[in-house]
Amino acid sequence: MTDLLSWFSAPARRRPLLRALVAAQVLYVLGVAGAGYATTALGQRVILATTPIDPKDLLYGDFVRLHYAISATPLSAWHGSGAPQRRQAVFVLLATGADSLSTAVGVYPQAPKAGAGQAVLRGWVTDVYRGSFALRFNLERYYVPEGSGLRLEKAGRLHPLRVRVSIAPWGQARITSVDAATK
Amino acid sequence: MSRKFLDTESPGWVTDGLISEAQRQQLLARYPQEAPALGLLPILGSVLVGLSGLSVVAANWQGLPAALRLALLLGSLLGSYSAGAYFLRRGNPDLGHGLIGLGLLLFGASIILTSQLFQLVGYDASGLLAWVIAGTALSYVYGSRLLVLLTVLIGAAVQTYCVESLGIFSYVTAWLVVGGMGYYWWRRPDTVSATVLAVGLLWQAGLFIIVQHSKITWFFVPAMLIYAAGDWQPNRAGGRALQVPSLVAAYLFMFGLAIFGEADAYANILRPPLLPYLAALVAVLAVSVAGKRARGRLGTLPEWLLLLPGFYLSGGLSLAVATLVVLYAHAGSVLARANREHDPEQLTIGAVLFVAATAVAYFKLTWGFMDKSLFFLLGGVLLLGLSWYLRRRNAQVLAAAAPLVAQQAGTPPTSAAAPEAPEPTHNS
Repeated sequence: MTDLLSWFSAPARRRPLLRALVAAQVLYVLGVAGAGYATTALGQRVILATTPIDPKDLLYGDFVRLHYAISATPLSAWHGSGAPQRRQAVFVLLATGADSLSTAVGVYPQAPKAGAGQAVLRGWVTDVYRGSFALRFNLERYYVPEGSGLRLEKAGRLHPLRVRVSIAPWGQARITSVDAATK
Repeated sequence: MSRKFLDTESPGWVTDGLISEAQRQQLLARYPQEAPALGLLPILGSVLVGLSGLSVVAANWQGLPAALRLALLLGSLLGSYSAGAYFLRRGNPDLGHGLIGLGLLLFGASIILTSQLFQLVGYDASGLLAWVIAGTALSYVYGSRLLVLLTVLIGAAVQTYCVESLGIFSYVTAWLVVGGMGYYWWRRPDTVSATVLAVGLLWQAGLFIIVQHSKITWFFVPAMLIYAAGDWQPNRAGGRALQVPSLVAAYLFMFGLAIFGEADAYANILRPPLLPYLAALVAVLAVSVAGKRARGRLGTLPEWLLLLPGFYLSGGLSLAVATLVVLYAHAGSVLARANREHDPEQLTIGAVLFVAATAVAYFKLTWGFMDKSLFFLLGGVLLLGLSWYLRRRNAQVLAAAAPLVAQQAGTPPTSAAAPEAPEPTHNS
C-alpha cells in the first residue's frame, strides 16, 4: 500500500488527475453561477429598505455598501431563550407591508414557519446593545458597474434605497436589483 | 560548471598540457549543449500580448454580458492549465508549474468574480474553501515548491478574509492547511516549503488568537506545537526549517520583553491564567522533548529557554535581569552547540544573538548610571573585544573544517584549480 502522496504524484496518474481536477474546478465555478441563476428563478422576492448612511461611506470602489432598516432590531423582537450572542446565526421572519416593503416581524434562533406573505432571511448577530441588536445578512455589498454607483450614492443620501432580494428555498439570498425609486 | 565555461577554457587546458585533446572532447561530450528551452523574446512578446488583452478585458469587464464574462474566466483557466501540462510534457518544469500555478490563481479569481457577478457573497468562506482544496490537490500531484507556496498563501488569504470581513475563524481552512500541507511536509520535507508552511501556520495561529480575543501569549502554544512537529520529522533539515519561524517569533518576543518589559503596563495583555497556560506549554514541551529524544536531537533542547514565561514577573529590574539572563543563556547554548558540531553557520548566528543580548543589557542596565562618554568608550571596547574573540573562534572552526573539505575534494585547499569544491565561507 503506497502512501497518499506517492499515489497522487505517480507520473502515470498525473494526466488523468489534472483533467479531473480542472474539470472539478470548471464545474464548481459553473455551480456558483448556477446557484446565482437558480436563486433568482426559484427564490421568493422581498423588497428591503435601506437606511440613509454617511454618503462618504456608501461607495467603496466597485460596490455600494448597504445598510438595511431591518439590520437594527429591538430586543423585544427576539424569540429565543436567553439573550442573542455575537456571531450567532439567526432567522428573521419578514412580512410584506402595504407599501410592498418587507419589515422584520421577529428574529428566531431556529427557522420559523413562514405564513402567507412572509419570508425567512438568514442573518448573523454582529452586536448586542442594551435594548437592541444589530444583524448582518451578507447582502451589505452590491457590486455595480463602474460609475453607476454615484447615482445610487446621491439617491441613498436623500431617500432609503429599495433593495430587491431573492431568497432561495435552500436559504441562499442574493440582491437582484437596487432601485433609487423615490416614493 | 557551465558548458560555456568549458567551451572557452578547455582549449587552454590542452595547450597547457593539463588534458589531451581526446579528453577535452570527452569532457565536452559529457556536458552536452542544452537545447534552448524557450527563447526570451517569445516569452516577453507573449507577456506583452497577454497584458494588452488583459487590460482590454479589465477596462470593459462591467459592460460585458454575464455569459461572456463566465466564458472568459473559464477559458483562461482551461488555457493556462493545458499550457502548463503541455510545457511539463515538453520537459520545461519551471514554466509548466508556473502556468499551473496561474491556473490555480485564475480558479480563485473565477470564484470571486462569479460570486460578485451574481451578487452572491457566500454565507461564509465555503466558496473559497474549494480554492484551498484545489491548491492542496495540485501540490500533491506536481510536488512543486511554487504550488506549495501558492497553496499556503491562499490558505492564509482565505483565513484573513474570514477574520477581516466575516469576523469568524474558518476551522476548516485551518485544518485543510495543517492536514493537507502538513502531511505533504511530513512526506517531502523540503526546506523552503517547510519554512513557507510554518510561516503560513503561524499566520493562521495569530488570526485565531485575534478572533478569540485571547491573551497574545497563547500564540506560543500553537507556535511551539509547530516547533514540536519539526522535532519528530525524521529528516533533520526539513524539521529544522519548520522550526525556525516559531523560534524567531519566540526570540523576538523575549527580546521585546527585555527592552520594553520594564513597565508593568502589559500585564493585562500578556498574562493568561497561570495554570492552564503553563499546563498547555508543558504538554507541548513534553511532545517536543519526546521527539528530540526519539530523533537524537536533545542538543537543541535549550531553545525552549525562550519560552520561559518571564512576563509573570512583575515589571521592573527583576524582569529586565531575568529576560537578559535568558537571552544570554540562549545565545550561549547556540554558541556551545555550534562549537560542538563544528557548524560555522550556527556560530555566526550565536555570535549575532550574543551581541544583541549584550546591546540590550548595555542599554537597559548601564545607560542611567554613567557618563555618556564613558558609556560609549566601554561599549566600544566591549564590542571590539567580543568581535575579536568571535573571529578567532570562527577561524579555528573553519581551519578545523577546511582539511575535511579538502579531503573530500581531493585537492589541497589553497589550489585555485578546484572551482567546484564547496568554498569555505568568507566571513572570517
